[in-house]
Amino acid sequence: MAREPIVHHLAAIVGRENVLASEEDRRAYSYDGTSTWRHLPDAVVFPTCTEHVEAVLKLANEQEIPVTPRGGGTNVSGGSVPIRGGIVLAMTRMNQILSIDAANLSARVQAGVVLMDLQTALAARKLFFPPDPQSFLGATLGGIIAENAGGPVCLKYGVTKQYVLGLKAVLPTGRTVDLGGSTVKNVVGYDLVSLITGSEGTLAVVTEAVLRLIPLPPARKTIVALFDDLPTSGATVGKILDAGTVPAKIELLDNWVIKSINRITGMGLPDDAAAMLMFECDGTHDVVEHDSRTVLDVCRRAGAQVIVAEDPQQALNYWKARSAGFAAVFGAAPTVLAEDVTVPRTRMAEFIGRVVDLCAKADLQVTVIGHAGDGNLHPSVMTDANDPAHFARAQRAVDAIIEAAVEFGGVLSGEHGIGLEKQKFMRRTQDPIFLDLMRRIKEVFDPKGILNPGKIWEDGRG
Amino acid sequence: MADRLDNLRRFRSDVEQCMKCGFCGYFCPIYREEREEKGLARGKDQLIRFALEGEQELSKGFYEAIDNCLLCKTCVQYCPAKTRIDHAVTAARADYAAEKGLPASKSLVFRYLLPNRRLFGAALRLASWLQFVLPRGEGGFRHLPQFLSALGAGRAIPEIAPRFLRKTLPERNPAPGEPKCRVGFFSGCATEYVFPDVGHRMVDVLRALDCEVVFDRRQGCCGAPVYFSGDFRTGRKLARRNVEAFEGCDYVVTGCATCGSALRDYPTYLAETPGEKQRFEQFAAKVRDFNEFVIDVAAADLGRLRLKPRFQGKKVTWHDPCHLARHQGVSAQPRAILKSLDGLEFVEMPEADRCCGLGGSFSITHYDVSKKIADHKVDAVAASGADAVVTACPGCMIQLRDALSRHGKAVAVLHVGELFEVGREPSRGSPDA
Repeated sequence: MAREPIVHHLAAIVGRENVLASEEDRRAYSYDGTSTWRHLPDAVVFPTCTEHVEAVLKLANEQEIPVTPRGGGTNVSGGSVPIRGGIVLAMTRMNQILSIDAANLSARVQAGVVLMDLQTALAARKLFFPPDPQSFLGATLGGIIAENAGGPVCLKYGVTKQYVLGLKAVLPTGRTVDLGGSTVKNVVGYDLVSLITGSEGTLAVVTEAVLRLIPLPPARKTIVALFDDLPTSGATVGKILDAGTVPAKIELLDNWVIKSINRITGMGLPDDAAAMLMFECDGTHDVVEHDSRTVLDVCRRAGAQVIVAEDPQQALNYWKARSAGFAAVFGAAPTVLAEDVTVPRTRMAEFIGRVVDLCAKADLQVTVIGHAGDGNLHPSVMTDANDPAHFARAQRAVDAIIEAAVEFGGVLSGEHGIGLEKQKFMRRTQDPIFLDLMRRIKEVFDPKGILNPGKIWEDGRG
Repeated sequence: MADRLDNLRRFRSDVEQCMKCGFCGYFCPIYREEREEKGLARGKDQLIRFALEGEQELSKGFYEAIDNCLLCKTCVQYCPAKTRIDHAVTAARADYAAEKGLPASKSLVFRYLLPNRRLFGAALRLASWLQFVLPRGEGGFRHLPQFLSALGAGRAIPEIAPRFLRKTLPERNPAPGEPKCRVGFFSGCATEYVFPDVGHRMVDVLRALDCEVVFDRRQGCCGAPVYFSGDFRTGRKLARRNVEAFEGCDYVVTGCATCGSALRDYPTYLAETPGEKQRFEQFAAKVRDFNEFVIDVAAADLGRLRLKPRFQGKKVTWHDPCHLARHQGVSAQPRAILKSLDGLEFVEMPEADRCCGLGGSFSITHYDVSKKIADHKVDAVAASGADAVVTACPGCMIQLRDALSRHGKAVAVLHVGELFEVGREPSRGSPDA
């Protein structure tokens, strides 16, 4: 269908002010947080209610127009890139927090609510929603659910799917369905809430969600431990958990990032430390005291130099420094290939050793950062897409990193998702029957294949 | 033919910092209202990058994207990649202006102005002063009509002063005793034409602090409305004239946040040669905001300043102008002043540094969004319970007065300079507001 009539039809549904179709607007919705994936949509639509989404999908299904749902566009998988053109369904104007129910520890939100806005509203009621993807300033709840997002505190609290009680979702055919409910216990039929959660917007468009909340922990403490070698830091993580303590966060930063932090913040961390673990213990005051003592003991026994943040401000400075250090990774080279592998915690030291080794052999700069507590690492290889020889070498190294992760019993993506970015590994590493099951599930939900086509198991390059 | 993009190429490394994390969305006042990608720094940065790569033309849509920015720098403050989108947007506007000329929207003001008798009368009265604002023959009166129409588009309009500052403030204002330093007072257009009394008060304070104050008549518009809109050529002429006017001064003090930041940004945007850059840098190094000067330079004599009796027992809050807090890093000093004045109660409002939404000509071309952004400020001021909101930017003052009066809030809007009692009758021809 030609672009003009689509725009006309869409405007009739959502109003002219909620449709964009200029060259510039289409370009502005051609990318996500990844560095290379791009494709122009034909139009961008901003629904403001579930009925709008129904009508848009009905139209798209009839006319077989691809529809790519998009929240904040902060994802790093290519998942919200409209790789087949068509319509971008921008959910950002459905951004109302509908209710916060402290007695039931739940909240009902529209899909376009930004995580940070939700957390601010919840904090005022001494509540919180644990999943904390580091894109929280831009990511929407709809996107967070679609990607089953994780983050640092998932070590202790688990990932998004553990916090979604119910969904209002529109099927690609335009029919709305309410799934799940508002209770933690619910075993009525297949768990389709969990199926939609993490389906990367390929099965249905979430318009509302009922989220499970927990009381905001009253106390927290930040501890920093510096190590002489990288694998030892990895091994220490397992020892802490083995000692019966689960901190909220255990983050790993390597020497490159430590030096970047010093450069950016002047924080004066030891420049020669090979690795740094950052811990946050949270809970009641007693629990925090107990957990931090364990962390300190185990780290000291492993030969680490430890620092305890003296007050909330100092703690905040350390976490800000970590963010700045992570950010520096992405600005360190013209192209940064950041991976998202996750390995069992017990194999982490070995895996890190392998990554460092194979990058050294290929003469590539690599930094190893990540959520070490749950084995989710982001080894980042620095290269330049404009230098074909170097780039090819870097890509081969990334292939080898992912193969190593799988060999060690891990997975190729812990929290970013497959989208377009990881498709080639998906086919290489997964059981064909698993891929076929996904294809058949997709067919049930989306017989014409209009919703976020070309993602996960389906070849997006074609 | 490919666009030349000379200015953008100069700021290319700023453009390329962005790693597309999208954090800017949380901070951008415009994105928070519109929720459109093109409105946030990442969207603008990408379009600018596509332009540099030759994919995106300097089209009308491109201009709309780069024009839809308050230059409030809130995103810059929090950007983890330290992307200077303010540099990129300003340079993009300059390249657009160089290729296509300034767009019709900048002259649309005439369409707002001319049918409105009251405004037109004011503009006519001002026209005789416009040689002061812009160099002779350089686009005539472009800037002030913009400013006036910003007041006109449905706003509560402050009166144009019966007598402008230069009619009533002498060129030489000696210190009462031995002068400690020689301060050049940079008035700025809004203080000159709309708030001359504020100008008098500041000069009185500077003199009370033992400064010799020079109000050199050669000074003109700081250039902000001109060069922030992309007209670097005119901006450069204004810069050169202002730099010359203040050559013999130890400091250049202004009570206008926008002027201060524009003066300090001459070397960034307007220098044509390395020599000129150095000259602009030397000038910029002398520039001080009024609050900054009072606290950082003249602090020892602060005890000499007293609160004007009519503000005794009043509760005030401070609004951080973007051009002061973020562009110039001045936020502690005004608070220090407010806390030091006996008899005044200072309270913080929530998000005191949140942009008021004026953004110069932004408020003309995007008045609806500008109003919505200002509404948040009204809520914050109301939440503080203050009798008055104090600031140091005539632009913010106009926006705040308009927004507060739209919501029927009886909260005064004051320039910090108005708070002081300096033990002398106000200068001639400047009735107390």
